[in-house]
Amino acid sequence: MSVLTSLLAASPGDPTNPGGGLGGATSTVTNTFTAPHVEYRALMPMLVVFGAATVGILIEAFLPRTRRYWPQVGVSLAGVVVAFCFVVANHGMAETTAADAVSVDGVTLFLQGTILLLALLALLLVAERGTGLVDLDAFTAQGATTPGSGGERAADAAGLRTTEVFPLMLFSVGGMLLFPAANDLLTSFVALEVLSLPLYLLCGLARRRRLLSQEAAMKYFLLGAFSSAFFLYGVALLYGYAGSVRLSDIATAITSSPHSDVLVLAGVALLAVGLLFKVGAVPFHAWTPDVYQGAPTPITAFMAAATKVAAFGALLRITYVALPGLRWDWRPVLWGVAILTMLVGAILAITQRDIKRMLAYSAILNAGYILLGVISTTSKGVSSTLFYLAAYGFATIGAFAVVTLVRESVRGGSDSGDGGEEDSVTVGGEATDLSAWAGLGRRSPLLAACFTVFMLAFAGIPLTSGFTGKFALFTAAIDGGAWPLVIVGVIASAAAAFFYVRVIVLMYFSEPLREQGAGPIVVVPSPMTTVALTVTVALTIALGVLPQMALDLADKAAYFVQ
Amino acid sequence: MESLIWLVPGLPLFGAAILLLGGKRTNAWGHLLGCLAALGSFALAAGLFFTMLGKHGAARSMHQHLYSWVPVPGTGQHPFQADVAFQLDQLSVVFILLITGVGSLIHIYSIGYMSHDPERRKFFSYLNLFLAAMLILVLADNYLLLYVGWEGVGLASYLLIGFWQAKPSAAAAAKKAFVVNRVGDVGLSIAIMLMFVTFGSFNFGTVFGTAGGASKGTLTAIGIMLLLAACGKSAQFPLQSWLGDAMEGPTPVSALIHAATMVTAGVYLIVRSHAIFDLSPTARLLVTIVGAITLLFGAIVGCAKDDIKKSLAGSTMSQIGYMILAAGLGPIGYAFAIMHLVTHGFFKAGLFLGAGSVMHGMDDEVNMRHYGGLRKYMPITFGTFFLGYLAIIGCPPFSGFYSKDKIIEAAFSKGGTSGWILGGAALLGALITAFYMTRMVIMTFFGEKRWVPDAEGHEPHPHESPLSMGLPMLLLAVGSVAAGFLFSMNSAFVNWLEPVTGPRAEGKLPGGLNSTTLSIITLAAVAVGVAIAVVKYGTGKVPAVAPRGSFITVAARKDLYGDAFNEAALMRPGQYLTRTLVYTDNRGVDGAINGLAALVGGTSGRLRRLQTGFVRSYALSMFGGAAALVAAILFAKL
Amino acid sequence: MNPDNYLFLSALLFTIGAFGVLIRRNAIVVFMCVELMLNAVNLTLVTFSRMHGDLTGQVIAFFTMVVAAAEVVVGLAIIVSVFRTRRSASVDDANLLKY
Repeated sequence: MSVLTSLLAASPGDPTNPGGGLGGATSTVTNTFTAPHVEYRALMPMLVVFGAATVGILIEAFLPRTRRYWPQVGVSLAGVVVAFCFVVANHGMAETTAADAVSVDGVTLFLQGTILLLALLALLLVAERGTGLVDLDAFTAQGATTPGSGGERAADAAGLRTTEVFPLMLFSVGGMLLFPAANDLLTSFVALEVLSLPLYLLCGLARRRRLLSQEAAMKYFLLGAFSSAFFLYGVALLYGYAGSVRLSDIATAITSSPHSDVLVLAGVALLAVGLLFKVGAVPFHAWTPDVYQGAPTPITAFMAAATKVAAFGALLRITYVALPGLRWDWRPVLWGVAILTMLVGAILAITQRDIKRMLAYSAILNAGYILLGVISTTSKGVSSTLFYLAAYGFATIGAFAVVTLVRESVRGGSDSGDGGEEDSVTVGGEATDLSAWAGLGRRSPLLAACFTVFMLAFAGIPLTSGFTGKFALFTAAIDGGAWPLVIVGVIASAAAAFFYVRVIVLMYFSEPLREQGAGPIVVVPSPMTTVALTVTVALTIALGVLPQMALDLADKAAYFVQ
Repeated sequence: MESLIWLVPGLPLFGAAILLLGGKRTNAWGHLLGCLAALGSFALAAGLFFTMLGKHGAARSMHQHLYSWVPVPGTGQHPFQADVAFQLDQLSVVFILLITGVGSLIHIYSIGYMSHDPERRKFFSYLNLFLAAMLILVLADNYLLLYVGWEGVGLASYLLIGFWQAKPSAAAAAKKAFVVNRVGDVGLSIAIMLMFVTFGSFNFGTVFGTAGGASKGTLTAIGIMLLLAACGKSAQFPLQSWLGDAMEGPTPVSALIHAATMVTAGVYLIVRSHAIFDLSPTARLLVTIVGAITLLFGAIVGCAKDDIKKSLAGSTMSQIGYMILAAGLGPIGYAFAIMHLVTHGFFKAGLFLGAGSVMHGMDDEVNMRHYGGLRKYMPITFGTFFLGYLAIIGCPPFSGFYSKDKIIEAAFSKGGTSGWILGGAALLGALITAFYMTRMVIMTFFGEKRWVPDAEGHEPHPHESPLSMGLPMLLLAVGSVAAGFLFSMNSAFVNWLEPVTGPRAEGKLPGGLNSTTLSIITLAAVAVGVAIAVVKYGTGKVPAVAPRGSFITVAARKDLYGDAFNEAALMRPGQYLTRTLVYTDNRGVDGAINGLAALVGGTSGRLRRLQTGFVRSYALSMFGGAAALVAAILFAKL
Repeated sequence: MNPDNYLFLSALLFTIGAFGVLIRRNAIVVFMCVELMLNAVNLTLVTFSRMHGDLTGQVIAFFTMVVAAAEVVVGLAIIVSVFRTRRSASVDDANLLKY
């Protein structure tokens, strides 16, 4: 017991006042209070997004239900675009602001830009309502109604729309922008919650298969709350060790102390639990497949792409800014996590029958790859991580966008018996079972080609963004001395190529399902999804064929401020 | 102007992209766009050529760096630098002019030739694709980009040979060309790997600049691998067998790809890599041997074929043999190899287009024994074909005379026994060339009609082809007539290429020969060849069904048993080997792999069960993970 | 009293909360256990704050409370809607997504 106290006394965060009274501290603080200087320009991207979200809430409050959709779409898209412009305008910035709570540097700006672009594409998917003929709304008419109840049918019939998804998404985006920029652990925690809470809700709002959707929301929420408790405990322990939650102070405390102790090591481990949960690393990955499968597909796309960027951004900042002194302690642990993540992701994906679940395991696998960049602890590692996050994010949004377009066909007039055999076949929910994708290449060659591009990118085939990204990551890892990890990574890639290519084979070389006379339907989306799909395909190929600009950008952005 | 180099391959590439992606919507104007792309590219090439003329010395070599594709700075000994960069020097400008010039003419010709084909747009997109790939090949400033073009022309050639894929023979020919080319491509890729290992770069500049530092063995190995590549693409012995079958493609394809441009890529490769061959006499000797064998081989095959296009294919093989021979002779031959390549591009393309025109008029009949007397019916075709004929047999002052004569002279002046053998082979080749070409002209245009009615009993009605086909033939004929003379005025061509191929070494002719006597001897040989053919085919009746012929004729009809050789020496043992391998693979390797796959699948199946769907078990795994993480980080420390 | 004791108490509370999450079936109770974990952390923070003699820890505790309150709003909304659908708040019943 006394050991702990003495360690605390020796800890550099508090050199003079080991058992200091609260009262004394209070008086010092009140006496010397000065308003912190806030550099608003650096915070503009976040402020704009949060502002747009607030406007969205006001729209919900004051506009009638039927007239909310377009204002919401307009405000959200405008907010994200304006925020992106601010990010671009801030390029080259390197400063901390708001009492050092937020640091705006290359990594922050690159990741914020990536998150905003991904959010823009995801918003297009979320805003998809289909053309006049087919209703492709992914969200339930009214979240509060019970699935299958009369209330739900009434809400459906009234044509209600859940437009709350837009402000919710914007709040989440705001949290994501803050997470990689957070320069102290308190801000990190708040950002983590701000990005997570709206996501929990969004997961539960699917229009079809609402039971699954609600189950996903509950699982995500309970496990997310559980993990953030660990994160917070880690924050508390590090605070106890360093006497401050600012990342640079923690770094100083670690380097100036001759020996690290239980507090800091346990704190780092618990902090890692929270972060690794968000990126979906093994053994904190269990929620990923269930939630990705159950959530509405546009939200899955958003989560899979943008959350990963934000969480890895935070992981990078904490490991590179606060914990470089403990490198030799956390690296072996992350080695183990990375190996497990890559192997579990690759192996489990092989036996999946559901396309969304398969993509979820692919997300886990990719989290493992990205950990290689974090582990390498070089600036090359940072830049390759940044590049890979962007490349992976775009391909993921695109892949899920394709998933939203392959629908089950529901026979209309089922109650009219045999007479209704040949009439109306209506569009149902997404046909996520892999068997439904057989022969897609013949029915819808363009869509199948798009999906092929994404699968090839995930598999890391040259001339796609995945190859460039993996190449950069693996080189960085080898430079950082982590060649055994690279070997595991390559083995995992080989196994992974199997299930990615299997989908391609299925689409092009298998006979379509014909037993019920009507296989799945490929729906024609409104321009929103079309734009998102086109942009993601173009970027996936462009980042493979002409990666130089993006690589240079990532190289230039690979710097932190303390 | 320099910054526009990328547009030279860019225009046809865009053309191909628009035509392929545009689909049926572009049917109406697709062929025009294809021609425009080719012509635009030609105009650019010409512009670049004149820009180059305006400069002097080293400034003539232009560079354009587009972007670096995956540069990996500072890893290991050799930084990996894969650039997309173009280099336009005196050698490549000759090529781009030839490719775009002849290419444009053939594009225009195809408008008429393919006018009845429903897939004409696709044909033009493939032609454009070919042009783009070929231009990338000759404009690349490093071997990797050259390889991209190399594979690109292979692909385009495959698509075009098999253009009428409904015909099984066309599909088979395309496959054969592809497979045989692959053997050569492996050579090129090995050569590139060797270069990277030895010089740490693919760049022409770096490779050639540091070639002197490499060991002789390495250089020879690289040279042999490059030769293998050249053999594949240029249909040289022993990879010659695909060219004859490739004639299944539409005739403009044969003219463009399998006569004028693509098959000369091998010659380009060797001349471009002369710095390596200069340092390795062994590799160079092999090159000359391959060239000499092929030039006789092709000529003999050309004598026996009754199919007009296959006979021309044999001739192509033989003429490229000349070029390879010249290239192998080293500094005394490089310039003449390229010069013959250009003149051959003109006259062979002209001959092929003439053959195509004849076929067009004769309802796609290809058997020369069913032609005869077409002179009166197709005067333009006959005229242009005859000019091409005079050029190929080397009749002064037509272009073939200047280039071929120089090669024969260079072969003799190599000196020593090998000089006599190579020179003799080249001389004999000239005689045989004169024979088979005279035979072709007589059987097609002279003598009596041996026309055969088609299946429904319609007599063919030979007619002159439309203007879009006639015009290219006329222009090519002008080239066949004048190119040689223009090139050899004041040794203009040789001097032009000197900065690239190095100063030309003057050989010394052995045994009291001088260039005049040698020219006379050559002409005499040509005259003998012509005379034999006239006696054999011009005076008597040509039987409509081929007589059995001598042993050599029979052999030559079967491509001198090239296919049989391939089958017996490569295919059968290959099949046997494959079968054995498949057996071992099934039993041994696959056993292991399948076992592994089953293991992974089984593991996957079992691990899957851990994903129970219960939140609490997930929470448990997280809790356990957290505990393990804390424990690991603490124990690692303590 | 030795401030270490508060730390041990809070660690104990945190563990109790974590075990509660693992063993309780009712979603509300599971969620309450998470809240217990958060409050255990609050105790840690306040203790460290006292030991270091600086206010950061206490400020964080306030933030945590606010965040926890927000979490309650979101969490209860989800749990209630699941309950209304399934007529059960047991986390073991929601078991459609698996393997």
